Amino acid sequence: MHTSSKQLKKEFIKKWVKGLEICCSSNKKMDVMERKKKIKLCADIALASAKNATTSWSNALIYNAKKDDENAILVDNLLGPESRFNSQRTAHQMITFHKRVRSKRILKKSCTVSQRMKKASPPASNLATCIAKRLVKKRTQVLKKLVPGGEAMDEYSLIKEALDYILSLRVQVDVMRSLANATEVLD
Amino acid sequence: MSHELRNDPSLLERQQARMKWQQQKQQSFFNASDHTMQNMFSTSMPLAQTNETFTGLLSGHNGLDIVKPDPGLMEDWAGFGDHLSYGYMNQNSIMPLGADQSFVHGNSVSVSTSVTVSVSPKKRKADKGQSLEVVTEKEKKLKGCAEEGDSKITHQNSNNSDKATGDNKSSNSKGASTNTSSKDKSKVSEVQKPDYIHVRARRGQATDSHSLAERVRREKISERMKYLQDLVPGCNKITGKAGMLDEIINYVQSLQKQVEFLSMKLATVNPELDFNIDNVFAKEMFQPSTSEFQGLGCTSETPNPAYFQLNSLDQVYCGLDMGINSAEMALRRSLTAPMSIPETFMDSSCFNVISSNLSPSFFQL
Repeated sequence: MHTSSKQLKKEFIKKWVKGLEICCSSNKKMDVMERKKKIKLCADIALASAKNATTSWSNALIYNAKKDDENAILVDNLLGPESRFNSQRTAHQMITFHKRVRSKRILKKSCTVSQRMKKASPPASNLATCIAKRLVKKRTQVLKKLVPGGEAMDEYSLIKEALDYILSLRVQVDVMRSLANATEVLD
Repeated sequence: MSHELRNDPSLLERQQARMKWQQQKQQSFFNASDHTMQNMFSTSMPLAQTNETFTGLLSGHNGLDIVKPDPGLMEDWAGFGDHLSYGYMNQNSIMPLGADQSFVHGNSVSVSTSVTVSVSPKKRKADKGQSLEVVTEKEKKLKGCAEEGDSKITHQNSNNSDKATGDNKSSNSKGASTNTSSKDKSKVSEVQKPDYIHVRARRGQATDSHSLAERVRREKISERMKYLQDLVPGCNKITGKAGMLDEIINYVQSLQKQVEFLSMKLATVNPELDFNIDNVFAKEMFQPSTSEFQGLGCTSETPNPAYFQLNSLDQVYCGLDMGINSAEMALRRSLTAPMSIPETFMDSSCFNVISSNLSPSFFQL
């Protein structure tokens, strides 16, 4: 894992610098907020593309970034022609996910009677587990929103993706922090 | 019956109370006035996938009119009362399509009730991991059909599990775990007619094929949780899933906030000029003789040719192995004592910064 994180760092820096260069080649006057957004965007895309389409969250991140028109060109340039990112596949996954959500909702609505009966008389021994289950459900919902593309995943792959996402975020934070410290030192 | 005496009276009371409760519930769904029929329903009534089995059951006793169960009702059954539904779904998973009605006919109410009473105390006494003993011969025979039944169940009872999709497991693997919350369920679901499959091997576990699949899924998840304990700091003491999820969420949120903060910091610290210098430097890397580097003085001359011997960025990045913190040290050193900058300690972004910041400082010298 240590070597893969180094590899990831190298890839990330390469692509990030490349993205920043593309950003600045436009020669536009940018204020702080815009600069920050560009920096962050470049960093995110660089991180996601460094994964080279192996993980689902990276694909989802790139897909979401591409949705925004003004970023799409930057993203395309950054990714380059050799990128393995398949936007059609991600779009297809998103569509199937939404369909699944809709069908689940319909099914739930048809079972409201049974749910009401269930709520009417929970045995006492089940109360603690009910609460625990509810907690877990709430937290998985939150996690799904945090991890890019998490909403379309089932719980198991969500945790797997979250693990990978945490690792990559760590790499990103390390690189950015050292760069920020370096510039601080020089100023 | 002797087993009952050994048990706590509270357990027996509970069981009786539950039976009564079930019977009351039954009445709300079925108009069966026959007490024995209700008993049948509450203990081991299979909701057959095919109407034939169901009607066979009914006709087998007291010659009632054929009642076709409403498919919508079956859905309600599925959602209704955890333990009941699990018990019923278990029945469903056992019954292969086109089940032999003779199975159904062969049972008498009295047998089922006696089984009810005698089996459950045994179950209660038994350790959670030991209910394999209760599996009867006939049940073992039908286990082979359980898989077929499972696949049918997943389609029909999708409301029971939102996650398990078409997981076909043999009934033996169902006994892999315990579920403390379903003690009540176990009492109902484990009480069955002897010639149906006892697919749950463990007591205290929900009997649905969906819950089986969920169980397997949950074990996979708990495996992953172990990785997380190494990854997320401070997770060593937390064992529950909810707590672990909480830690993960907090960690991911904090990392994302750090990224935001750092990008803001970089945006403020580096005015736009630096980006251009990055660009300039990128060009300069491939053009050894430029005015900017001439201005850097002798200190830059030594690393520069060495640097430009590295034909690609990759060789620069191999210096990352030394850690980026050491790059800061190198930067400090370069400021205080102009010596040859070891390129192995730099990455290109630092180079960019150095070039931009060294040129003014050396001009001052």
